[in-house]
Amino acid sequence: DVDIDTAVEKKRRNKQRVLMLSSRGITQRMRHLMNDLETLLPHVKKDSKLDSKSELRLIPELADLNNCNNALYFEARRHEDLYLWASKTPNGPSIKFHVQNIHTMDELKMTGNCLKGSRGIVSFDKGFDETEHSRLIKEVFIQIFGVPPGARKAKPFIDHILTFSLLDSKIWFRNFQIIEKDPLEPNGPPQTSLVEIGPRLVLTPIRIFEGAFSGATVFSNPEFVSPAAVRSAMRRQAGDKYRSRKD
Amino acid sequence: EDAIPRQKLVVNDKHALDRILDDIRLDKSLSWTETLSTTYPQTHEVDVSNDLDRELSFYKQALHCAEAARKLAAEHSLPFTRPSDFFAEMVKSDAHMERIRQRLLDETAQIKRGE
Repeated sequence: DVDIDTAVEKKRRNKQRVLMLSSRGITQRMRHLMNDLETLLPHVKKDSKLDSKSELRLIPELADLNNCNNALYFEARRHEDLYLWASKTPNGPSIKFHVQNIHTMDELKMTGNCLKGSRGIVSFDKGFDETEHSRLIKEVFIQIFGVPPGARKAKPFIDHILTFSLLDSKIWFRNFQIIEKDPLEPNGPPQTSLVEIGPRLVLTPIRIFEGAFSGATVFSNPEFVSPAAVRSAMRRQAGDKYRSRKD
Repeated sequence: EDAIPRQKLVVNDKHALDRILDDIRLDKSLSWTETLSTTYPQTHEVDVSNDLDRELSFYKQALHCAEAARKLAAEHSLPFTRPSDFFAEMVKSDAHMERIRQRLLDETAQIKRGE
């Protein structure tokens, strides 16, 4: 009996698998961003594009079929706006973000590199502990972006760090390579430095729902203005300028 | 004719958020090595539109957390540093890294020529 108990004790592990999929109509840049996240997170299972934008209830079922307990769903609108749903399936919650300022790993400015499938450290700033909704976002991100130790294809060393920073009520995502040797003095004392690997993105939380892609809204961001509204306001302003000149 | 300004319905159900967090939170007894999550003890107080300051602030967060994580890894005897003789597939291919290197070389040559 004692043996069984210790075996149960040992089995307490963090088991996470993430289903990643997108809607139809994503652009090349959005697709590259998804590929980047897939290479960085070995516990991600990618699925084919979802046909319908209204049938989001299908996603928890798809996650279940793929033995996943998390889902990342990229929703493209008007071929230019990207939304990201991060959700715990099947019981929720789900968080909807607006994604901006995407830079992928293909860009030549970011010179870092890391092992494919190495477990990254996930780092948050103190701002995440200050409000209820950001605490919830932090917990969901730890589970989705933290690579569990048992992940298939995971490598045994740690050589990169994913940072989530709250600034201007947006979440800024960066990924750095950890270098422990000074390249100029390879035999000197170990000196930690970082080189950015990419991708980069900025997430604006829009809404938090209680269920997985369903349920009551428990948080909505009062500051969020939809990108279509921003564009139409800009066009109206330009139109006003023309009209006042014409009169 | 002016459109009637529509009041946006704002929801911030703190009790529900706390309850959901309690429901999904990972077991407290879980060892740090299961999640590898770290928290930076500061918030970011920089001008968002100043790219240099902003990125430096993020860099500081990452550096602080990377060092904290290395200490924690040593405590939990989790292998951290990759030995120099460990080779495996990387996130960016060799061809891609070569293109990055070439670009850096081109840039330095450009600067030299300018002088």
